[in-house]
Amino acid sequence: MSEPITRRKILVNYRIQASRCADCGRTYFPPKSLCNNEGRRSRMNFVDYFYDKGILVSGSAIRKPTNKFLHVGSFMSAIVSFDDGEIRIPGRITDYILPEEELDVTQFIGKGVIPRFRRLYTDGPQGLIYYSSLNFSFEDDYYPYQKYVKAKSSNRSELPGIIGYGIYLPKFRIKSEDESALGVKERTVPFVDEDATTFAVEAGKRALIHAGIDSRYVKKCFVGSESAPYAVKPSMSTVCQVLQLGEEYDGGFFSGGIDSQFACKAATDLFIDAAALVAYPTFGGEYVMVIGSDNSQAERNDPLDFTVGAGAAAFIFGKRGVIATLDYYVPYTSDTSDFYRREGQKYPRHGGRFTGEPAYFKHVVTAMKTALKLSGLTPKDFRFVVCHSPNAKFPYLAALEAGFQKDQIEPGLVVRYVGNLYSGSSPAALAAVLDIADPGDRILMTSYGSGAGSESYIFTVKKEIEDKRERSIPIRQQIENSHKKYVDYNTYRKWKEIGA
Amino acid sequence: MSIKAGWKVKPHAAIIGAGRTAFGEQWYKDPEKLMMDAGVSAVESVDLGLGRRDIQACYFGSFLYQTTNKLGLVSGHMARELGINIPMNTTEAACASGGSAFYNACIAIKSGMYDVVLVGGFEKMTDRSSKIIDDLMFAADPYEFDSGFTFPGLYASMMARYIHDYSFGDQRCIEALAQIACKNHHHAVNNEYAQYRRDITVQDVLKSTLIADPIRLLHCSPVSDGAAAVILTKPELAKKYTDTPIYVIASQQATDDISLYTRESMTGIKATRLAVGKALREAGISIEDIEIAEVHDCFTIEEAMFLEDSGYYENGKAWEGIYESYESFKGSKHIPYIKNGKELIVNSGGGLKADGHPVGATGIRQIHECFTQLRGKAGKNQIDKDLNLALCHNIGGTGGIATVHILARDIHE
Repeated sequence: MSEPITRRKILVNYRIQASRCADCGRTYFPPKSLCNNEGRRSRMNFVDYFYDKGILVSGSAIRKPTNKFLHVGSFMSAIVSFDDGEIRIPGRITDYILPEEELDVTQFIGKGVIPRFRRLYTDGPQGLIYYSSLNFSFEDDYYPYQKYVKAKSSNRSELPGIIGYGIYLPKFRIKSEDESALGVKERTVPFVDEDATTFAVEAGKRALIHAGIDSRYVKKCFVGSESAPYAVKPSMSTVCQVLQLGEEYDGGFFSGGIDSQFACKAATDLFIDAAALVAYPTFGGEYVMVIGSDNSQAERNDPLDFTVGAGAAAFIFGKRGVIATLDYYVPYTSDTSDFYRREGQKYPRHGGRFTGEPAYFKHVVTAMKTALKLSGLTPKDFRFVVCHSPNAKFPYLAALEAGFQKDQIEPGLVVRYVGNLYSGSSPAALAAVLDIADPGDRILMTSYGSGAGSESYIFTVKKEIEDKRERSIPIRQQIENSHKKYVDYNTYRKWKEIGA
Repeated sequence: MSIKAGWKVKPHAAIIGAGRTAFGEQWYKDPEKLMMDAGVSAVESVDLGLGRRDIQACYFGSFLYQTTNKLGLVSGHMARELGINIPMNTTEAACASGGSAFYNACIAIKSGMYDVVLVGGFEKMTDRSSKIIDDLMFAADPYEFDSGFTFPGLYASMMARYIHDYSFGDQRCIEALAQIACKNHHHAVNNEYAQYRRDITVQDVLKSTLIADPIRLLHCSPVSDGAAAVILTKPELAKKYTDTPIYVIASQQATDDISLYTRESMTGIKATRLAVGKALREAGISIEDIEIAEVHDCFTIEEAMFLEDSGYYENGKAWEGIYESYESFKGSKHIPYIKNGKELIVNSGGGLKADGHPVGATGIRQIHECFTQLRGKAGKNQIDKDLNLALCHNIGGTGGIATVHILARDIHE
């Protein structure tokens, strides 16, 4: 394709945009300006099906794909109807592995399907990466359908804080049988069409649904990652375009943001900035979204290769409908070269045992202890403590050293089942405890990014958390989902490397 | 002899010659050389002689010449190959490029502009076979491409929906859609030009490699190289060139959305329905009057859908007719479809399935086949009965365009 074609297609593909005749109501995908009923160019309104559920009309198992889709292997493509059959659109069925024997496609006719933002193909390693929402997962599979309902705005909180969050964990898993996995029993694996940008979009979508806010009022978005698909070109602008963050104007949106990089704390360090922005008198927006997303990278057979996972966590900050206030922020930084990747290199390198004591533990424990000291709180004042989780051993030991007990640490140790999510690691742990927290609970969260730095946050859970709970997909539910599928090592490597 | 006693038809044009190349892998021929071979054969086939300089214009049909063959300006290539400098036009209408070129040529003759024109179709698909699956998708909607669809995949979606809506779990429907391939392979055994001159069984089809479930390899027409050409003249001039011209008594084209997903139906082709309807009305006959038909069987489901779109069988019932016709066949040569005791022979030379499907050549190859059969000149593959009426049905893409031509040997003037 080309850059101009891509831009035109994005406007349709990202949200499954259709045009609807203002006079007769007939809807067209792809959008067009001439209404067949009216027989002339008509006033068209744009509608989209990004948050809708479709019905599979027919399809086929593609076993000899075009060269553009060779990397996907065999898959199913389908024609899907929306709006009670008002329109039909084509799409690829994702997160589905074809059986080797003949597939009876007719069994899927009439089945519900949900749009997924996924990668289509690329123009080679130096060219553009193409994304689209014309990909569907089955409704009765891993991902439940969630309605996006914009709820009435709640009361303003004195302190800004988290107003919603969304965690996206891919459907596929690999089991860890290696001792060096340090307590990581299984890990999330990206499907062949996923990468850090698609994770970020899916997590952001869930966060919007959970918060129940109008995306027009999200005026800033940060996407932290160390596996962004482009070296130069932000994932944030893709997230913004897909999720329509900010007021729309001429195909663009009045919102800002950046991609950030600080190893695994690329996202979390911006929590305080997000909270500060929404409290800033001339910010002009209501909300800020912070996403940590990684298709965590590790070289084949490197020790990290037995702990890395994949996924994203999105948190929205605001002053309305706060579910947890951000009470304290304690950062701690030093130039410590424990883990790094030079520009142009595919995988990070690390200092082996050096990454432990002088890097992770020094920064994490210093930040935690300082946060306790500055807040005047003791470990007993907290129900949960969560830390960056490169494995299940490090966060446990760090929290113990800071004076916490097993029952405060365990609920956040989802790393055991999802692996190291890099930028999404401590946010996913935070989400795991928010999933079960009660109003009044205090949470101490400490992130860590190689290079190196940590920051501790103290959150206090508010009663609004209960009102929003039914709109979230708890991490535990994703971990225990009966539709998750295990893949072997070679499949895991292949898929991970395609989305690297 | 008349096509129907008392009916009068004014033909558009008359066909006085036809030629073609063998279809298949033609590794030693450039596309323009294939077209030249077919064109010269067509000129040479004119019984009472036709000079190259008698041709006043050429109409060519081809699909992927720019993409797969990296050729443009077919007119310039053909002017050089044929050594003439007359008006030449090229029509691209995907798999209906040949049928559409023929349609345009009929208009040219009927307009009175030219006395004699050459119509040719060609395609060279095997030169870049590693990208032919991608290239063919230029005849589909870009959103279908981005959904991972291939051409077999799109037709498989129609086939799946057809089975879902009409088979009611009856395995005979699956078998009928395989029998179409068996029938067409059987018809190609005696066709000296055909790509596949061997019989296959229903089991061969149902055990062949999966391409796009439910479509298997032997449900598909092949990737082919080849060319075909015919010579058209004004009906009133036809007897100057041959004693047995074949008349074009209907020439119609219809279009529909390029995208399968926006069409009214997934189990039928609206463009076929419209073009057949208009052609039959133009000829003043009904589908039951047709004795032989060249049907666009790019995938077997398409032949089944034609039988319904043309009104030959009721909607959803073609598979039953196909199954019963195939199972009750006791002869050895052409296997007809039977309705109310009357026979319709479809794809007498093997169709796209076995004769081959060099995309742009197909529409002209269909005319060539009917021209030859109606004149009783098909040699070992000649249908064993006196024939007068033939229909050619050529589709582009998944149904974005359809051309239908009705040919008659004997007409009332």
